[in-house]
Amino acid sequence: MTSTQTPAPATTSRRTKGGAPRPGSTGGIADVARRWGHRLADRRFLPVAGTLLTLVLILVIGQARYSTDTRSFVNMRLFSNLLVDNSYLLVLAVGMTFVILTGGIDLSVGAVVALVGLVVAKLLILGVPLPLVLLAGVLVGTVFGLLIGVLVQYFSIQPFIASLAAMFLARGLCNVVSVESLAIEDKGFTDLASWRLKFGHGPSIWYINLSMIVALVVVLVAVYLLHYTRFGRTVYGLGAGDGGQAVGLMGLRAARTKVWVYVISGTCAGIAGILFAFYTRSGFNLTGIGMELDAIASVVIGGAMLTGGSGFVLGSVAGVLVYGLIQVLIAREGLDSWWTKVFIGAVLLLFVLLQRALSTGQKRRRKKNKEESPAPPPAAAPAVS
Amino acid sequence: MSTTSTTASEPVVRMTGITIEFPGVKALDGVDLTLRPGEVHALMGENGAGKSTLIKALTGVYRIDAGTIAVAGTARRFDGPADAQEAGVSTVYQEVNLAPNLSVAENIMLGHEVRLGPFVNWPATRRAARTHLARLGLDLDPMSMLGTHSIAIQQLCAIARAMVVDAKVLILDEPTSSLDKAEVAQLFDVMRQLRADGVAILFVSHFLDQVYEITDRLTVLRNGRLVGEYLTAELPRLELVSKMVGRASEDLADIEKAARRTTTHDLTGREPVLRALGLGRDGTVEPFDLDLYEGEIVGVAGLLGSGRTEVARLLYGADRADSGTLTVRGAGVRAASPLGSLQRGVALASEDRKKEGIIGDLTVRENIALAMQAERGAWRKVPAKELDATVARYIEALAIHPANPDALIKNLSGGNQQKVLLARWLATAPQLLLLDEPTRGIDVGAKAEIQRLVAELASEGMSVVFISSELEEVLRLSHRVVVMRDRQKIGELTNGPDVTASTVLETIAASGSAS
Amino acid sequence: MTGTVATDPTPSPADRARRTFSRLAGHTLFWPVVALVVLLLACGVVSPGFLDVTVQDGHLFGQVVDILRQSATPLLLAIGMCLVIATGGIDLSVGAVMAISLAVSLTYIAESGSGTTVGTALTGLALGLVVALVIGAFNGFLVTVLGIQPFIATLILMIAGRGIAMLITKGQITTVTSPPFKAIGSGYVLGIPMPVVIAAGVFALVVLLVRGTALGMLLESIGINREASRLAGVKSRNITWFVYALCGLLAGLAGIVYGAPTMAADANNVGLMKELDAIMVVVLGGTKLEGGKFSLAGCVVGALILSTLERAVVIFHLPTQVTPLFKALILIIVCIAGSDRLRSRAGAARRARRTPAVPVEVAA
Repeated sequence: MTSTQTPAPATTSRRTKGGAPRPGSTGGIADVARRWGHRLADRRFLPVAGTLLTLVLILVIGQARYSTDTRSFVNMRLFSNLLVDNSYLLVLAVGMTFVILTGGIDLSVGAVVALVGLVVAKLLILGVPLPLVLLAGVLVGTVFGLLIGVLVQYFSIQPFIASLAAMFLARGLCNVVSVESLAIEDKGFTDLASWRLKFGHGPSIWYINLSMIVALVVVLVAVYLLHYTRFGRTVYGLGAGDGGQAVGLMGLRAARTKVWVYVISGTCAGIAGILFAFYTRSGFNLTGIGMELDAIASVVIGGAMLTGGSGFVLGSVAGVLVYGLIQVLIAREGLDSWWTKVFIGAVLLLFVLLQRALSTGQKRRRKKNKEESPAPPPAAAPAVS
Repeated sequence: MSTTSTTASEPVVRMTGITIEFPGVKALDGVDLTLRPGEVHALMGENGAGKSTLIKALTGVYRIDAGTIAVAGTARRFDGPADAQEAGVSTVYQEVNLAPNLSVAENIMLGHEVRLGPFVNWPATRRAARTHLARLGLDLDPMSMLGTHSIAIQQLCAIARAMVVDAKVLILDEPTSSLDKAEVAQLFDVMRQLRADGVAILFVSHFLDQVYEITDRLTVLRNGRLVGEYLTAELPRLELVSKMVGRASEDLADIEKAARRTTTHDLTGREPVLRALGLGRDGTVEPFDLDLYEGEIVGVAGLLGSGRTEVARLLYGADRADSGTLTVRGAGVRAASPLGSLQRGVALASEDRKKEGIIGDLTVRENIALAMQAERGAWRKVPAKELDATVARYIEALAIHPANPDALIKNLSGGNQQKVLLARWLATAPQLLLLDEPTRGIDVGAKAEIQRLVAELASEGMSVVFISSELEEVLRLSHRVVVMRDRQKIGELTNGPDVTASTVLETIAASGSAS
Repeated sequence: MTGTVATDPTPSPADRARRTFSRLAGHTLFWPVVALVVLLLACGVVSPGFLDVTVQDGHLFGQVVDILRQSATPLLLAIGMCLVIATGGIDLSVGAVMAISLAVSLTYIAESGSGTTVGTALTGLALGLVVALVIGAFNGFLVTVLGIQPFIATLILMIAGRGIAMLITKGQITTVTSPPFKAIGSGYVLGIPMPVVIAAGVFALVVLLVRGTALGMLLESIGINREASRLAGVKSRNITWFVYALCGLLAGLAGIVYGAPTMAADANNVGLMKELDAIMVVVLGGTKLEGGKFSLAGCVVGALILSTLERAVVIFHLPTQVTPLFKALILIIVCIAGSDRLRSRAGAARRARRTPAVPVEVAA
C-alpha cells in the first residue's frame, strides 16, 4: 500500500499516454494477488464474513444435533421454510439497510406493517379490487417513508425522533382503522398467498411461494441500487460521518438521496406489510410491535455499522437467516419462545463485540500504515456515540 | 486536456460588485475578482476578510445579494456546487470533502461514472479514475478505500475529482495547510501542469512563501471589501501584509523586530520541571529526551507531520507513551493522563481548536471553568464567586471580546476562542504550559497579543513549550528550540543572535537522508 | 473578529416588545409549555370540573392529581434518560429494565411467603433496584469501557431484557398480595399520591446532584465535545458510566412504582414501549437527542404533556387506542416548532434562502 501512496517528487514524468496503467504493472500475478488480498481483508468485508461464519456454525450445530438417519437437518426444506417464515423480515431488513447506511434509523416499520395489513384487510372487505388494494398497501408505506424523509431532511429532526413520531402515527391510525383483528377472506388474495411451487417428494418436499419471490426481487433490486447506481454510492457517502456534507460538495444530490432512503425503507415496510398479511391472512393492530427491532438487529448482525457508511444488503440477508435459524434451533430444543429474545440479544452482543475488536484492529493497522507514510493528521479519537 | 483558445487578457471569471449580507453583518461589500486562463491567482486576506464567503459565492453555495458573476463571458447565477461545476468551476476545500468510506475511484468519478445501460460500468470507471490520477502523477489502487490514504493523497484525489469535468477554473481553498514540504512540492507540480493546460487556479493560503512561489497575481480583501489586485512579482511582501492587515508597513516591521529573544538562560544546577527520558510511542514519535526548566520557553520546530504535536501529546498524556519515563518535578509519572497532568501542573492547548478545544454550546465562563473543574472532580463545584472572579480576571487580562462571560464560545471569533482556551489552561495555574500552534488561523493582532502573553508568563516563572509552523515566531519567543524531523527529535538549538530560520532549516535538512 | 456579533440599532418600544417575545419564543421550553397550557385549557373548556381538586379522606382527588400521578413513571424514566442523552447517548433498555426489576421484586415477595410485612416489601424493593442498577452499570460498561455505540449497547438488553424477565417469572404473571408493596404505587403521603411524592423527591435529588455539583456542566461538555472534554481532564468514562447506572436505577424504580398498584409482574407488557415514551418526554422537554445541553425541568413539562394528552383523549370522548396518533402530532408539532431550521426561516427569511445544508460560520 505504502509504495503506491508516496510517489517520489519526480513522478510527474510517470504520466501515461492513452489508456491507464494496468494494476500491478510491475509485479505481475503476485502483485495482483497481493492487491486482491488487501481488498478481501478490507474491514468492510470482515463483519459479513463473521455473519456467514455464524450462519455456517449454526447449520453445523443443527446438523449435528437434529439430523436423523432418514432426514438431514440441512436440506432445501429448511431454507424454504426459513424464507417463508421470514420473507417479510427480509424485506424490512433490506429497507432498513439503506437507512442505516446513511447513519439514520427507521423505527416506524413495525407499526407500518401493522397498518398496511389493516388497510389491506379493510379495503378488501370494502370490495376494492385486489390490484388496487396491493398498490394502496405499498403506497401507505411509501407515504410514511416520505413523511420521515421530509422531517429528517427539511426540518432537521433526528431520524430517531422523526421515525418515532411516524411510528406513533401509524399505530394511532391502526386503531382508527380497526381495533379488532380483521380476517382476510378475499379469494384473489388468499390464492396469491397460498400459491406455491412444489419440489421434491415425501419428507424432503419444499416450496417456492410468492413471498419468497418478492423478497428475492427486493434483494436484487437493492443490490442493483446500492452497488450499480450513483444513487447507491451516494447512500454510502451520506454515511461518511459528516452529515452528507462531503457528498453535497461533490455535487451529488445529498438532500434528495436522504429523503429517498426513507421512502425506500417505507416502501419496503409497505411490501413487508403485504407479505405479512399473506403469511397471517389477517390484519391486526397489535402485530409488528418490536418488529423494527428485529429488522435493526438483523442488519447489525449482518455486519452494518449503525454509524453508517458500512454494510451490505447481502450481509443483512445473512443476518435475517441467522435470526431465523436461532428461532428454528429454539423450537427444536423445545425451549420457551422467550429464549429466542435472550439468544438474539446474546448474538447481538457477540457481534457488537466482534465489530469492536475488528475496528480496534483496523485502527492499529492504520497506525502502522501512518508510520510508513508521511504527514498523518493527529489520530482522531474514537467517538463513542 | 482542454486547451483554452482565449487569450490571457480575456478573463474566464469576472465577478463585479459582489455583496453578501448575513444578519447584522455585510460579509462582502462590492468585491471584484477577475481570473484569467492559465494563471494562478491568490486570494489574500486575514481571517474574516471574506475569502471563504467570496469562494462560496463563486461556487454557488451562497447566493449573492448584489453584483454579477460572468464565467467565460456569460452572466451566471449558480444554484449550488453542481451548477457551478457544470459551468466549469470546481473547488477543492480546505478540509478534504470526500467520502473516506468510498473507494478512490468512486470519490473521483461519482457524478461522472461510466455507465452501461442502467448500470455503472465499474471496470471502465476505475480505468477512467486511474487515467485522471495518472494525469496528476499518481499511481493509486482505485479500489482502495480513500480513508486508508494520507490527507495529502486525499487532497490530490480531490483535485483529480475536480479535474474530471475539465474545469476551466479550479479553486483551492487552503490546500497546503496539512501537507508537508514534499507534498506541497508535488501539489505545486500539479498546479503548474494545470496552469500550462490553461486552467485558471484560485489559490487561498496563509503561507506567504507559497503564495510568492506559485502565484502570478493576487487579490487582497480586508473586512469584506476589496483592497486591490496586484501582480505578485511587483508587490513586496511587507506591503502585501500591510494591505492585508490595514496597517502601515512600518508598524509591522516594528512588530517583526520586537522582542527578539537574545538572552540565554542559565540552567546549570537547576532541577527541570519536566524530564522525559526515551519517551516515545510506536508509530507516532521515536523515543526522545527532553528537559524543561522553570521560566523557559522551548520552541518546537519542524514541518507538519514531523512529530511536533505528538511530542506535546505524549508529554501531556493525551496519548499514552509506550516507552521511556516521564518525571515531573522529580516525581516519576506512570501512565500519564490529561487529568493527572493537570493535577501535576501541566496543561496542553491543542492545535485543533474546534475538535479538541472549545465546547461550542457552552458559555465562555463554562469553557474557562472546565479544566479547573475537572481537576476538582465532578462533585466539588468551583464556588461561583471564585469562578466569576477568575473569569473576569482573564477576560480583562486577555482582552477577550465580547467581554461577556455568558456568550456562547462558538459565537466568538477564532482568536477570541483561542484566548478563552488559554484562560482555561491558565486558570489551572500550570507550571508547564504546552502550546500547540496557539496562533494558527487567528489574525495578526491577536497573534501579537498571544506572543506577548507567552513571553510574560515565562518571565513570571512558567515553563512553556511553544509549537508553531512559523519559524520566525518560534525563534522570536524561545530560549531553546527543539528540532523535529520525521517523527524524531533531531536536534536542540540554544537560541541566540546567530540562530536564524535558515539555521533551523539547515538542521532539518542536514541530518536527513535524501527524501 | 467581524461579523459574529450583530450590532443593535436603537430599539423602539414595539421593537423591544417583539424582541422580548422572540427571546421568550426562543427559549427551549417555550413551545412545550405552550403545548401543555393549550392542552390543559382545552380539557378545562370541554370538562368544566377538570381543574378542580377536592379532598376526600385526607387525600387529594381530581383530574389534575390523576395527571400528576400518571406523570410519575414517565418522569422517572425521563430523568435518567435525559442525563444519558446529555452525554450523547441513549438508553433503549429502560422499558425492559422496568419489567425485570418488577419481576425480581414480586418474585422475591412471592417466594418469601411473608408478603404482608413491611420488611419483605422493602427487601423486595431493594432487590429490584439493585438488579436495575446492575443492568444500568452493564449498559454503562458496554458504552464506556468497550466503546460500543449506546444505541446498539442498550438495544441488546431492550431485546433480551424481556426474555430475562420472563425467565425470572418462569413465564407466569407473578401476582402477590403485599399491602406495603402496593402502597409504593397507590399510597398517599400527606394526601399526595405516593408516585407523585417519589417522582418529585427523585427530581429534586437529581437536580441537586446535577446542578448543585459540576456534574451537569461536565455532562454537557462531554455531550458537546467528548475529545475536548477528555483533554480538559474530564473523566468522561466515569461520568458516563455513572449516568447509565443512574438511568438503570431510576428505570427500576419506575417499574416498581408502575407495577406496585396491581402487584402483578407481567413480563410481556410492563414497560412495553416506555423507553420510547421516555425519549419522547425528554425531546418534548427541549433536550436535543444529539446530546449536550439538557433540561430536567423540560422533562417535567414533557411528562405532564404526555399524561395530560392521555387524559385529554378520554375527556374528549375519543377511543383511547388513538392516543398514539396525538402523541405523534404533538411530537411533530413541538419538534418542528423548535427546529432551528424553521426558526431561521421565520426569523430571517433572507438568510434561510442562503443557508446551505451546512451550518455556516459567518465570515469566520
